Amino acid sequence: MKVEDVICPFCGCLCDDLVVEVEGERVIGVENGCTLAQEKFMGDHRLGHPIRRTGKEWTPVSYDEAIETAARVLLEADRPLLYGWSGTQGEAQSVGVHLAELLGAVIDNTSTVCHGPSIMAIQEVGHPGCTLGQVKNRADLLIYWGCNPIDAHPRHMSRYTTYADGFFLKDAFRDRKVIVVDIRETESSNIADEFIRIDPGGDYEVLSALRAIVRGKGALVPASVSGVSREQLFRVADLCKAARFGAIFFGLGLTMSPGKQKNIRNAIELTEELNRHTKFTISPMRGHWNVYGSNEVFTWISGYPYAVDFARGIAFYNPGETTAVDILKRGECDACLVVASDPGAHFPRDCCAHLASIPTIQIDPHVNATTHLSHLQIPVAVTGIDAEGTAYRMDGVPIRTRSLFPSRYPTDTEILERIYAIVAREKGP
Amino acid sequence: MKFLLNTGRTIRQGSFVERKNSPAYRNEASSCRMNPVDMMELGIEEGANVMVTGPAGTVVMRGVPEPGLRKGEVFVCLGPFANHIISTETHGTGMPDFKTTVVEIVPTDERIAEIWELMESCGGWRYEG
Repeated sequence: MKVEDVICPFCGCLCDDLVVEVEGERVIGVENGCTLAQEKFMGDHRLGHPIRRTGKEWTPVSYDEAIETAARVLLEADRPLLYGWSGTQGEAQSVGVHLAELLGAVIDNTSTVCHGPSIMAIQEVGHPGCTLGQVKNRADLLIYWGCNPIDAHPRHMSRYTTYADGFFLKDAFRDRKVIVVDIRETESSNIADEFIRIDPGGDYEVLSALRAIVRGKGALVPASVSGVSREQLFRVADLCKAARFGAIFFGLGLTMSPGKQKNIRNAIELTEELNRHTKFTISPMRGHWNVYGSNEVFTWISGYPYAVDFARGIAFYNPGETTAVDILKRGECDACLVVASDPGAHFPRDCCAHLASIPTIQIDPHVNATTHLSHLQIPVAVTGIDAEGTAYRMDGVPIRTRSLFPSRYPTDTEILERIYAIVAREKGP
Repeated sequence: MKFLLNTGRTIRQGSFVERKNSPAYRNEASSCRMNPVDMMELGIEEGANVMVTGPAGTVVMRGVPEPGLRKGEVFVCLGPFANHIISTETHGTGMPDFKTTVVEIVPTDERIAEIWELMESCGGWRYEG
């Protein structure tokens, strides 16, 4: 059976035009998907049943036992950390925040090691963004700053920018100019009309120089700024001012480099400056599928997008203190529930060492690096493949995903609701 | 010799991300991409093992030439190998220095660890099922 208009559950593009062929409980073919989508849908490497580790021995356990154990661990902890949330549905994220409130726990999502600094900058100066549909139909100048969409978001250029014809751009490949800013050559920089190669850590200076030129203070700009020539900076500023609609997309090259949130703030203020001349927007290249949704769901329940600490009985947010890496490096949490993410692979070693030293429970469909650090793992259905649910695209558009075949696994939401019920019963009214 | 370590996504890393016990994921996550001239100066053959030491520790990776990198810069895809040597310092932002960690690289005959061995060195225990 072929299912049309399937939403891809891998990256933040949430491509919605896939055709997936299903046979029984297996996907046997994917049309329109990129390499990442092919691997996601065709992959058949699920953990078969819940597993628990005692010392060096792993044993299979029932779902009932696993859920009871998870609830007990969380109830007995003084400072539990609930981390992850990006690879699952909004419904599960919602239960997660309520569980955190009930427990007085800290809840953080993967934006903490992704676009967390972007959110901090947006909280400072706002977000002049737009939907990807606007970009597709109107943008004649694209700037990819500190990102490599061909590897990380393989269809971003073909669905929304370089190769996508739009309502006002009938021949996109010729009508759109593409600028790539990076410290290294990538597949994406190779197809750019203009490649700005900057020295590592030089983003803030280059952004400041461009702001000065756009503001009419170009005489202040020296011959070279962080490895970029004055001539190229002026040429790029002219390209930006001459555009009818410019769109900046930025990646972790800005959020993880020295300056972090201040880099993003500077980029947003450059965007604001360019809006004195023409229409310009800026948006983060959100990576991990529904990570944008985790920010939305956390915010509409707690008021804060990530790193929310309920220990005081109210929601408290302070990146650098209540963020997962900082809590783990201080050895502060005494239990951790990991949902739909893999801190074992993506957190610094010392954080992993603390995860291994406390009862760490993982809810995830696959064996990953965190599995080896955990004491319990509960496999679940994959939202968008064998579970339906809501996810947010990188531009903040919520999209309902479907289940392609009946699952033999429970969903994240079902597992979390059962854990919540036990915790609520024990905590009392 | 000292280098500046940059990490980020690669399409191969993304492809194998749900098979982290697989040789394919381990190969990609342990590939240390370097400027070919740097490799020549250090006497590192293509695909030979290198010992990379950062602020949090040492890990063995595989030297892979990449002409698109400038001298003095190396690139490793995000994952447990890069994270084995990156500091937890976030400068009050929640975000470690995933793109600007200074590392020392020397040739080595030591072998590249399995993912579960890296996790065992942190106090975990392997699940091979």
